[in-house]
Amino acid sequence: MTTTKSAAAERVLASKKKITPIQVVIYVFLVFVSVTYLLPLLWVFNVSFKTNKEIFTAPFALPQNITFDNYTFAWSAGHLGIATLNSFIVCAVALVLSTIIGSMAAFGIARMRWKGSKLAMTYFLTGMMIPVHCVLIPLFTRFASFGLSNTLVGLILPYLTFSLPITIFIMTGFFTGLPNELIECACMEGANIFQIFFKICLPLCKTGIFVTGLMTFIGNWNELLLAMVFISDDEKKTLPVSLSKFVGPYNTNYSQMFAAIIIAIIPTVIVYCAFSNKIVDGLTAGAVKG
Amino acid sequence: MDKMLRNWKSIIVFMLPAFVLFTVVLFIPIVQSVYYSFCDYKGMTDPVFIGFDNYAALLSDKTFGIALKNSMFFLVFSCVSQLIMGLFYAVLLTNIKRGRNLFKNIIYLPCVLSSAALGLLWMFIFSPKLGINQLLESWGITDPPLWLMDTKGFITLPMWMIAFVALWQYVGQSMMLYMAQISGINKSLYEASYIDGCTKIQSFRYITLPLIRPMVATAMSLNAIGSLKFFDLIFNMTEGGPNHKSEVLATHLYQQGFKYFKYGYASAIGVVLLVLCLLVTLFINKVVKTEQYEM
Repeated sequence: MTTTKSAAAERVLASKKKITPIQVVIYVFLVFVSVTYLLPLLWVFNVSFKTNKEIFTAPFALPQNITFDNYTFAWSAGHLGIATLNSFIVCAVALVLSTIIGSMAAFGIARMRWKGSKLAMTYFLTGMMIPVHCVLIPLFTRFASFGLSNTLVGLILPYLTFSLPITIFIMTGFFTGLPNELIECACMEGANIFQIFFKICLPLCKTGIFVTGLMTFIGNWNELLLAMVFISDDEKKTLPVSLSKFVGPYNTNYSQMFAAIIIAIIPTVIVYCAFSNKIVDGLTAGAVKG
Repeated sequence: MDKMLRNWKSIIVFMLPAFVLFTVVLFIPIVQSVYYSFCDYKGMTDPVFIGFDNYAALLSDKTFGIALKNSMFFLVFSCVSQLIMGLFYAVLLTNIKRGRNLFKNIIYLPCVLSSAALGLLWMFIFSPKLGINQLLESWGITDPPLWLMDTKGFITLPMWMIAFVALWQYVGQSMMLYMAQISGINKSLYEASYIDGCTKIQSFRYITLPLIRPMVATAMSLNAIGSLKFFDLIFNMTEGGPNHKSEVLATHLYQQGFKYFKYGYASAIGVVLLVLCLLVTLFINKVVKTEQYEM
């Protein structure tokens, strides 16, 4: 009995030290998977520096002379500069507002003592199951009658609202986790409820704010449907919309379209490379709770 | 303190902004949408109540049939494939010692990128004269498939290609969820199973699988709702074409509502979508989430 036990224990230990053939197979497979992930991106990156003719004569060779002409053209003709700015404005405003409003509601649900808090939570959570498409038409007609269509405010409002359920859900978890003594103590010291919220509870839930902020920002940054429906003015379009308009099957200058794709994804790629661990863990933490 | 936390005025201040936004931008429009779906509403005129006519029209609409079929295909394919591949990657990654973060980050990368841009990217890769077909040509294959232009079969080739691209893009999300859950399992359970003579596969079957079951429910309902909402990739890869063969509910809704301005009809599609979302979430949570184990 003891011998088998120690043998098994040794096996476990040994498997931790040596690289077994199975491990080699796993690594080879993972490298293959990574190639399928990186190759399409690298291909587009490579092609975006070529001339249109080169794409067909030498599709997989490196570009002969590197020029940024494709990029400058895509940047100006595709309105990508203003689109990036618009995307940034919309996402940043929606992010700040949804964090504040969402955290306030979450605090109200998690910490304040009232009868309807459970019901309010359910009400906000159903929002997570509702697809945007269902509210598209009523929102569109309503916003048109209020003069909000074709304005950035008209885009910020739905983005903000659709970010609320996840913000409320995650932040409620964080606020519930705070010790009761903390609030008691602050109350003794004579702080009012708003000071407790803004000066004590909110700073203590920095992780939660980071996680929800990340999720809402990335989600809104990539959103296409609402932006496409609500905005028709070139000067107010967001990045995914301008990109989809500029790049299409009827445009024939491929290298410029590839350059536009790279312009659209490169900011996200850079930010992701710089903070990838934090981003991946943050997004997962949010999804695990959600 | 109790008095402060029960103060009605401050509760209202905390809850009101979110509540008002939620009601005005989300719930009232849903009610309106359901009402519009019973109306003849073409954008220019006011909605006129016509009962179930829009739904009856849906039944005889061929494109709606295709869209519903494709959406269902998408739903089943993404739930099953994401479960299998996500779990597979998660198990592989939790079993290696070095480079775990690197591989994890690479597989997760497309999740944060704009699916509009990635859709365009794959559109070019599968376009008749570029990408894959150039590669096939250099290998001497003379008549490569048309990928996104093909129309044959019950589920057409474009749908399969889009489904695989969606799997490629979003599998990182499922993988991360499963990884988080697997790394939360107590190591001593595995040690005990090895001492009892379990193989790795047995310990996966009898320890890992039962313990990650709640997460399977969560990940599956995320996938299911995501796949029903699916729009960006399809819109940018095929725009529902060729000949509406790769239309899904979301693209059909967009076409009907914002190209032909049939608001009432599009609302009916939206209601179908909403009902599907609610049903699928309920179903998954009933079937998959059975019992919770102590970890």
